[in-house]
Amino acid sequence: MSGKYQERLSQLEGVLKEDLIDLQQLRASSSSGIPESLRPLSWRLLLEYLPPKRAEWTEFLQKQRQNYGELVLDMIVRPGDSNSEQADHPLNPNPDSAWSNYFKDNEVLLQIDKDVRRLCPEMSFFQQPTPFPNRPASRLNLSKRINSCNLHAEVFETSRSGATNFVASSRKKAVEQYKSLDEGDEAHWQVVERILFIYSKLNPGVKYVQGMNEVLGPLYYVFAQDTNDSWAEHAEADTYYCFQNLMSEIKDNFIKTLDQSNCGIEWTMTRFYERFKDCDPDLYEYLVTEQGLLPQYYAFRWLSLLLSQEFLLPDVITIWDALFADDKRFEFLQYVCLAMLYNARDRLLQGDFSANMRLLQNYPEVDVGQLVVIAHDLKEGNLSVISKSDSSNSMDRAKKPTTISSVLSSTLRSFTGKS
Amino acid sequence: MLVLIIGDLHIPHRCHNLPAKFRKLLVPNKIQHILCTGNLCTKETFDYLKSLASDVHVVRGDFDENCNYPETKVVTVGQFRIGLCHGHQLVPWGDTEVLSLLARQLDVDVIVSGHTHEFKAFEHEGRFFINPGSATGAYSALESSVTPSFALMDVQAQALVTYVYRLVDDEVKVERLEFRKVK
Repeated sequence: MSGKYQERLSQLEGVLKEDLIDLQQLRASSSSGIPESLRPLSWRLLLEYLPPKRAEWTEFLQKQRQNYGELVLDMIVRPGDSNSEQADHPLNPNPDSAWSNYFKDNEVLLQIDKDVRRLCPEMSFFQQPTPFPNRPASRLNLSKRINSCNLHAEVFETSRSGATNFVASSRKKAVEQYKSLDEGDEAHWQVVERILFIYSKLNPGVKYVQGMNEVLGPLYYVFAQDTNDSWAEHAEADTYYCFQNLMSEIKDNFIKTLDQSNCGIEWTMTRFYERFKDCDPDLYEYLVTEQGLLPQYYAFRWLSLLLSQEFLLPDVITIWDALFADDKRFEFLQYVCLAMLYNARDRLLQGDFSANMRLLQNYPEVDVGQLVVIAHDLKEGNLSVISKSDSSNSMDRAKKPTTISSVLSSTLRSFTGKS
Repeated sequence: MLVLIIGDLHIPHRCHNLPAKFRKLLVPNKIQHILCTGNLCTKETFDYLKSLASDVHVVRGDFDENCNYPETKVVTVGQFRIGLCHGHQLVPWGDTEVLSLLARQLDVDVIVSGHTHEFKAFEHEGRFFINPGSATGAYSALESSVTPSFALMDVQAQALVTYVYRLVDDEVKVERLEFRKVK
């Protein structure tokens, strides 16, 4: 395994070292996973944030990051700060007033805040303070704007002898798990909150829809965990632009009015089911025709959130390596979903409707590397479903002589970059 | 952070309700905290304030039905310590020296008092004194024609921006005052 890893590493390094990076080659060599150290850079390239010409990077990054910094300060307004607008006041009912815009923003922010606070609760990363807080922006603490906590109050009493005492209020408060940090410091979730808020302000057509936080989470995690501090320092700005590029490809999933049209999520799900039918007619027959398991029940979440809800964060990142490497984004996503169905095929064929629902909505932990390999095979059509139907355990598949060669060949092919 | 300062409503004894123009301005989800100088006087008025913001702090006025409100209260908002007292206990009523005595006792940056039904806001000895007046324009012991008024404080890191709302000739007049903490 280490040999393969070394091979992959050196190959990717080779691609990334060139002055003009060949995206095709990068895609090919990253389609079955990117090593940790090269991932942030590769994602930046795969999401078409960084230009392929290495010489342009320094200038480009500087410009984008500066832009983002200005954007944050422009977008997050504190209406009370400026003295000029004498006529404006917080209770102004006029819709043009800066204050009423402020309250409108707060409504969006309230939703974002709720969602980012519970982002990836299984790991502490998002609750930890970031080593590179965005100082000017953190002063405009967003989560404080909608904070609804009670103020600390003391009751002051005078006794008959004139002595005074302070009785602290005895009201019990729940321990704040996701408390804000000191002035100038901020946790990772606050950075995510800010990115989402800026995105919703700049894209009034999409605004913020629940689930975007799940898409942003892995991106930010990868960029912020960069071992090279000079990159990690600018994780926020880079994440924002990468998120924007990624959203421009998948935002149709989040727009309600487009659901029925031929770029919305319903259409994607229909395509997915057509593919499913072609790929595995027996399972399709059983699940869809017999049990009536509609894609809305489970595939909606799989497809719209790029599987980010189905697996743990490290696994999601592995899958995304392959998804981003796909040149027809996000066709490969559908194959990964098919691979998930394929992987659970035997259990699905035995289960009744409710058991299958539970299985698909709460997909068990699997080796995602394996899933990606299966997905590649399915895509190239060299994995025959029928040959596998008698196997008892799907993970034993590789042991079978009929399939091992195809798996190996496809793996090798992806390693050598199809050159 | 927006803090509403309101008091001396005297509902239903002296006035039946807040002026309609004020009620139109005061909507939920804008204000985060309420400091009330007392004399609500009934539970219904308290419930109305609760509907504007969940965090309501009240001190006891001389006509309040609820006897459990404390006489004075110190609330910490961001960097500011705010003392709250109805003011009927402090004789002579509304006197600067007496109020500043209380402010020194409580060790506060801002003192909020009521009872006189007359809006007042000034700085004295580095402290900020504010009396929101009566939000309903209820008559007081000394004055029969009272201008309805309340105040809204925008608490920032170093400054306290106060917006004063007054109903003059059935029109809402807004004024902006700023107080900076002296370090």
